[in-house]
Amino acid sequence: MAALVLPAGLLVALLLVAPMVLLFRISLNEYSPTEMMREATTAANYLRAVGDPYYRSILLTTLTVSMGSTLLTLGLGFPTAYWLARMESRWKSFATIVVMFPLLVGNVVRAAGWLALLGNGGAINSSLMGLGLIASPLPLIYNTGAVVLGIVAVVLPYMILTLSAVIESIPRQVEEAASNLGAPSWTVFRRVVLPLALPGVAAGSVLVFVLCMNTYASAVLLGGPRFKMMAPAIYDQFVRGNNWPFGAALAFILLTITLVLTILGSAALGRRYRRPKEELS
Amino acid sequence: MPAELRDAPLTLPRSRAIVLPAFLRRLPSRLLIVAAFLVMLAPVVTVMTTSVFRDEIISFPPSGLTLDWYVNAWERREFARGFVTSLQVAALATCIGVPLGTAAAYAIVRGGLPGASAMSTLLLAPLAVPAVVAGTALYMFYLRAEFWLDRDIAATLESLVAAHVLLTIPWTVRLVTASLQGLDRAAEEAAANLGARPLTVFRRVTLPAMRSGIIAACLFSFIQSFENLELSLLLVGPGRTTLPVAMLNYLEFRVDPTLAAVATVQILLVAVLMLVTDRFVSIARTV
Repeated sequence: MAALVLPAGLLVALLLVAPMVLLFRISLNEYSPTEMMREATTAANYLRAVGDPYYRSILLTTLTVSMGSTLLTLGLGFPTAYWLARMESRWKSFATIVVMFPLLVGNVVRAAGWLALLGNGGAINSSLMGLGLIASPLPLIYNTGAVVLGIVAVVLPYMILTLSAVIESIPRQVEEAASNLGAPSWTVFRRVVLPLALPGVAAGSVLVFVLCMNTYASAVLLGGPRFKMMAPAIYDQFVRGNNWPFGAALAFILLTITLVLTILGSAALGRRYRRPKEELS
Repeated sequence: MPAELRDAPLTLPRSRAIVLPAFLRRLPSRLLIVAAFLVMLAPVVTVMTTSVFRDEIISFPPSGLTLDWYVNAWERREFARGFVTSLQVAALATCIGVPLGTAAAYAIVRGGLPGASAMSTLLLAPLAVPAVVAGTALYMFYLRAEFWLDRDIAATLESLVAAHVLLTIPWTVRLVTASLQGLDRAAEEAAANLGARPLTVFRRVTLPAMRSGIIAACLFSFIQSFENLELSLLLVGPGRTTLPVAMLNYLEFRVDPTLAAVATVQILLVAVLMLVTDRFVSIARTV
């Protein structure tokens, strides 16, 4: 049995854990304009990332945009996942494919689609101007809202598929029992469906939050030149700035914050959904 | 005060004050569902529409329609090459990652190994690490390995596939584990009690139960690899660019309908692929 786990385990250890250790080591090095990198053991890169208001604001933007996008995705994803999970007609297969389909299109293409929709000559502004409702184009693109929209479009299918798998495993009779006993539909949702779906909410939110913290294409293409998030900032350090130690420190900060928040988040949700189970038994 | 008034109930009759008709009560959630599909599909539909616009600067309404951008997309070899590279990488990463992940998931659920949960955490870890962090770490790692081993590693097809296997393993472990947990152990024990050898039990009982999980794993692994941008950004080399990276590079210096044409071809191919897959295995039941 151990022989079955080992290949995958070794591969992940070699390609994920070892590179992470190396990245951490590099983040403690010194940057040198002449020889690129000098061996050292210094926290200077971390101190600079936390101390410099520019990088602090990038980190803050990344965090707020990621949290906002995750919540918005949850709000849009839950009703859709419920609808999909409870669907019985032969269209269910088709609806599932429609949800999965954008995943294969890639986030660069979808960002291009948003550009054509929201840009100054885009579909929305042209229609509004054509109807005479506005005189000049609305600033729909190159702002935080456009980035959030772009991110939500990318991550929504993951949320819907994760949630609907969990909702499908909730027996319909439980809901019927609650509403037969007189609970209004909102109460059935709040007291029955939501608590039972919490593992799915936790799994989906964690998955989506990690993807949000990782945003690259939406930030670069829809945020405009002044909008910055962590992933492009890290990439810039490696490709344009050639400051590897500082880039490594930024990457490690992003990783640590993502891990801490996802662990705290799932622990908080985990406490909540364990309680009803104990009452049942 | 007259008695009948004093005895009158002071509270309002307990009418179920506002009972909205069913369609109004469902309206908020219906609106959210419509919004969700709009957000997911609007950009895709727009891209497909603009691919036939004549103007170089995409604007609505177009001054005319043309198929020239498809010709241009075909003539710019980076897209065709990127498409082939992406297909190659995704197929290889799926073929390597899914068997490894499936074997690991089986051993974790059925093996009774010590430290199984730690192992499962390790195998799912790539999902918890932002891909841009994993990508930069791998880039540094490949450069260091090149130095030690004195051979080309970074920007080779092999190293790109290896990185993408990292995407396929956690999805496989996740999906196959879920399908195995749904299988009642009693079925396997019954088969064994009736005299089936362990290998027969696996082949005739366990494997069929894992089938839908494995198919879902193949599908998701392929998707993850095929559309991946962030992990690949630093790992692609000149002449060996994946399609998403080629598209991003193009889009960063010009926005014309060429990209929309490439995307439309890709979308149609993908749609055909999914519909064909669906004919053999119901996608709705695997995910």
